[in-house]
Amino acid sequence: MLDFLLRVFGKDNSSSKNVAKERLRLVLVHDRADMSPQLIEDLKEDLIKVISNYMEIDENALEVNLDSSNNTVALVANIPVLRMKRTSNRKEKIG
Amino acid sequence: MKKTKSSKGKKLFFKNETNGVNDPDINTDSVDTEQEKGKEGETVKARETVPAQEIKKGRQKRKKADREPAQDESGEFLPGTAIPEADEIIAEENEPAGQTKTDSRVIKNRGPWQEAFADDNTILIQRTVRSGQSVRFDGNVVVMGDVNPGSEIVASGNIVVMGALRGVVHAGALGNENATVAAFKLQPMQLRIANHITRAPDGDYLTPEYPEIARIKDGVVVIEVYQMGQDRQTKIG
Amino acid sequence: MGEVIVITSGKGGVGKTTTTANIGTGLAASGLKVVLVDTDIGLRNLDVVLGLENRIVYDIVDVTHGNCRLKQALIKDKRFEGLHLLPAAQTKDKTSVTPDQIRELCAQLKKEFDYVIIDCPAGIEQGFKNAIAGAEKAIVVTTPEVSAVRDADRIIGLLEAAELHNPKLIVNRLRPLMVKRGDMMSIDDIIDILAIDLLGVVPEDEMIVITTNKGEPAVLDNNSRAGQAYRNVARRITGEDVPLMDLEAETGLMYKLKKLIGFK
Repeated sequence: MLDFLLRVFGKDNSSSKNVAKERLRLVLVHDRADMSPQLIEDLKEDLIKVISNYMEIDENALEVNLDSSNNTVALVANIPVLRMKRTSNRKEKIG
Repeated sequence: MKKTKSSKGKKLFFKNETNGVNDPDINTDSVDTEQEKGKEGETVKARETVPAQEIKKGRQKRKKADREPAQDESGEFLPGTAIPEADEIIAEENEPAGQTKTDSRVIKNRGPWQEAFADDNTILIQRTVRSGQSVRFDGNVVVMGDVNPGSEIVASGNIVVMGALRGVVHAGALGNENATVAAFKLQPMQLRIANHITRAPDGDYLTPEYPEIARIKDGVVVIEVYQMGQDRQTKIG
Repeated sequence: MGEVIVITSGKGGVGKTTTTANIGTGLAASGLKVVLVDTDIGLRNLDVVLGLENRIVYDIVDVTHGNCRLKQALIKDKRFEGLHLLPAAQTKDKTSVTPDQIRELCAQLKKEFDYVIIDCPAGIEQGFKNAIAGAEKAIVVTTPEVSAVRDADRIIGLLEAAELHNPKLIVNRLRPLMVKRGDMMSIDDIIDILAIDLLGVVPEDEMIVITTNKGEPAVLDNNSRAGQAYRNVARRITGEDVPLMDLEAETGLMYKLKKLIGFK
């Protein structure tokens, strides 16, 4: 009954439009997450550049993927570290 | 000979536009005939000697298009994508039964009035021709079924539709002004005979209740009630 | 030099062809020279919506294949001097023309016309690529449905990839009462998701069916709300600043009832 009243007065958050909007938002996140391989490559390069300032990594084993699970999309990077650097190159440059 | 005027004002329903439909600039004299000649030039010359199955154009194109989903499983042609580069439904080699050619040798012995038909090939299509499908044939075309809007029949000879004709038809496509178009229900979107083009009128028009025949008389396309026997007289005449 | 605008949507049945016919007629009604190009080869429909189906002798494939001159294939509208249609072929398929041919065609047309409006087929394959090839601007049509908005989003992405930036949005078949009830996404919801500029909102209107039956675009009908919306869209295309029409001015029974009992 309350449900009905809420619907009548348009205060119900689960109204079909909100359901539609939410579903659409999620589906679009997935759709748009479909990055081109070139873009992923560029991202990899940039990541390597940044991370190399702080640690030595195995550039060839580096994996970058967009992982989409139920309602989130995550950037998953697997970066094998070879050796940590004591001081960052960046600081040295600044210093 | 009943002229259109007498056939319940049907003439009003067709505008004769020998000057072309699209644009006054159009050169109707060359319009379709030239188009046809361009495409089928060799076939026309070869007509006397080569059997119909051989001279149909478009076979090579058809082969090129084999990767296209030209036919569904039942062997029916799908509209639109079915017939790339148009070409004829009838060009299929393994066309299912339902199409025959008249055997001209037999007919020739029958009497003088049939001579007129005898030198043309005739094809029989036992199905409804649907939107996007196109039948092109060097000879007469008989359809046992309807010809739906958006479809097209082009024949160098006559066209007979044992059903409702609602698509675009072009009889005498290679310039034969004696060609006719007959149908149980003659309500084509556009009707062309040789280089004459007529089109259905704008707005509503009546559904014909009797078979009609279109032909060129005194330089215009007229539509008459089809009367048995009359057509053959004209042919001899 | 005219402007080449493609009308596209991704999803079928959202009203691309109706929109093309109405915008074109609307522009021509204000005295502009307009040509509508139907690129839905194999499934042409713009001709019937405009009521010009029985005048077609040549089509776009005949033009690109050199069977006739461009001018021969252009069909003059029966109502407006400035309106022309270049029909699609019905007995060919989408591979009969190439994007390059369409680009060349558009270049020729825009010399003669103020607006070249291209009706794009549904889908994102060859037909779509053909349709957008010559375009300088794009209008994306959607309806307030999840499927249509999703496809619109995909199309916007593809348009941007093809260097057609800042496409404009038309939301078609909106039902203000349903929006009010919370059962249909509102304009704001859609804009929020798609993040492009709004060109117009066309309410659901039975008159569209009726006018299409007759082959007369709704834009010519002064009583049609959809027609009014399309007139506004046409004016916005020419650069006029026209406010969105008041969709709340609903004439539904519930509205009258509510008004009667003082709910509004």
